[in-house]
Amino acid sequence: MIVAENLTRVYTMGRVEVRALGGVSLDVAKGEFVGIMGASGSGKSTLLHILGLLDRPTSGRVLIDGTDVLALSDHRRTLFRLNRLGYVFQDYALIGELTALENVYLTSLVRGASKAEYLERSAEILRRVGLGDRMDHRQSELSGGEQQRVAIARALVNNPSILLADEPCANLDSQTSRSILDLFARLNEDLDQTIVMVSHEDWHKEYFCRIVTLRDGLIEEMVECRKA
Amino acid sequence: MLAGLRVSAFLAGKSIQRGSRGTLALTIMIIALIFVNLVFLPSIISGVVVTFDTQSIDFDLGNLVIEPREGSQYIDGVTGLQKKVEQIAGITGTSPRITAGVTYFYRGRNAASTLYGITPEDERSVTKIAEYMTAGEFLSNGDTDAIILGTTLAGTEGEEAGGLPSLQGVGVGDSVEVAYPNGETRIYRVKGLFETQSFGVDTAAFVTTREMSEVLGLQDQASVILVKTAVNGREEEYKTEILSYGVQEDVLTFREKSGGFVEQAIQSFNIINAISTLVSLIIAVVVVFIVIFINTVNRRRQIGILKAIGIDQQIIINSYVLQVLFITAVGALVGIALNAGVTTYLTAYPLVFPGGPVYPDVEASAILRSIASLFGVSVAAGYIPAWRIAREDILSAIRG
Repeated sequence: MIVAENLTRVYTMGRVEVRALGGVSLDVAKGEFVGIMGASGSGKSTLLHILGLLDRPTSGRVLIDGTDVLALSDHRRTLFRLNRLGYVFQDYALIGELTALENVYLTSLVRGASKAEYLERSAEILRRVGLGDRMDHRQSELSGGEQQRVAIARALVNNPSILLADEPCANLDSQTSRSILDLFARLNEDLDQTIVMVSHEDWHKEYFCRIVTLRDGLIEEMVECRKA
Repeated sequence: MLAGLRVSAFLAGKSIQRGSRGTLALTIMIIALIFVNLVFLPSIISGVVVTFDTQSIDFDLGNLVIEPREGSQYIDGVTGLQKKVEQIAGITGTSPRITAGVTYFYRGRNAASTLYGITPEDERSVTKIAEYMTAGEFLSNGDTDAIILGTTLAGTEGEEAGGLPSLQGVGVGDSVEVAYPNGETRIYRVKGLFETQSFGVDTAAFVTTREMSEVLGLQDQASVILVKTAVNGREEEYKTEILSYGVQEDVLTFREKSGGFVEQAIQSFNIINAISTLVSLIIAVVVVFIVIFINTVNRRRQIGILKAIGIDQQIIINSYVLQVLFITAVGALVGIALNAGVTTYLTAYPLVFPGGPVYPDVEASAILRSIASLFGVSVAAGYIPAWRIAREDILSAIRG
């Protein structure tokens, strides 16, 4: 599903070069729930940004479902993100002017879905994440956990091959975090949804099939855990 | 393509619907005022031209003027020439005039101006002066001791006329002494006063041709013959027609007779209008650019998020362009309403120019031109800041 080969990412800050990734190779199979862990600055978010086509590596190769995504034009990468990937940000990244329902169906609108189709699908997903009664609320009227659920619903609405989540529980209390992770686990188990999630919380490990630990831009450890 | 436009329209609609109402209203108002400025000045210029043409035709020159051939002071055989010209289909009247520069005397005051000798019935068939009598009556063909004066020349007791010839208070029934250029003097009873609001006419006076011919010793002669046509705007065609009838005298359209004054005035007005239009459009560009620039900078993170979730940057740019189109369309509509208000007011209370009252003449082409130019510059001014932000790297945009 995902084949990442020898990824490096070097940022230039003035005259100083900072190596965020030093040659990371990673395969993710369909239906896996992979946790990328590590201390702050270990390169986990950088890796996720590259896998989510939000950033380009300095060198290396990324194949997703056999497509060399780094060779795609910006326009094709945008389409790839729209049709194949779902991305959940740490700080929800909702569009403040839109309601929960509108945030979710926005990408279906781009895909040319009919109104009945996208309304039904978006409402169904919002119900599935427990927001059936909050659809017409805007971001400012939702709690952090609810906002993150909207973001997850938005990431799922187009049936993505891969769901990428960048510390989705970082701004949530432990109870809400657990409900989000339970939701991810259900998606993974019930729908065989491939998930790659960045986290730095030790207790999240219990949810992952595989844990990839980064340190200083390199893979320090790779452990199979919940589901081999 | 259509799906993309649908999303652009969706984003633009939500932004307009849920964004700052105050900023939106202010921007629309500025665009409306720019629109008024774009339409107003051309409408006044057009109004000046219409006024000048109307005043010239109705009170001063008719549509065409027949002048003595070169080297002659007067046209000879006026009666025959009138008959010849009046045969032409579409010519509705001719009026011979004798012109003399005279000095008027009244109660120790004097004023130098033009005195015209006219045949009243002929004059009625060409000009409308007879319909603009403010006191007394118009001349009759048989009058020999009567004169009619323009209200500026007649003047008001104790008031100067701002450098224009004025006898300061002549009324109907008063006697005015006229000194002709040949040294003859006559005393005339003022039969009437007229006011056309055309200063060149209102500073003049009229006696009958019969009287003036007798004073100047003329026989079937005139300084000019004014010609009235059934329709305005076809003066060149009638001029050719008259010349084709073998008329040897010079034939001029009223525009030619005015010596290019209108053309020069129009050229000057057009320069002023071009500067005003340019300034207005620059203001429109700056306003729209600033509004969209601030809008996009404030939504930089949102633009990054939209790109991250798979929305093409062109869709994002188009959403801003659609917002600009909406603002410009509503601004233009408000501008049209404001302009209608200004036009209605200035039609009721016209601007007073030396050539007469000027009513705004709003041409459909001027409105269309203004709308097109406003849309053109607004879209360009909205596109550029949206394009600059939308092409930014996704992560930089999201991090703000």
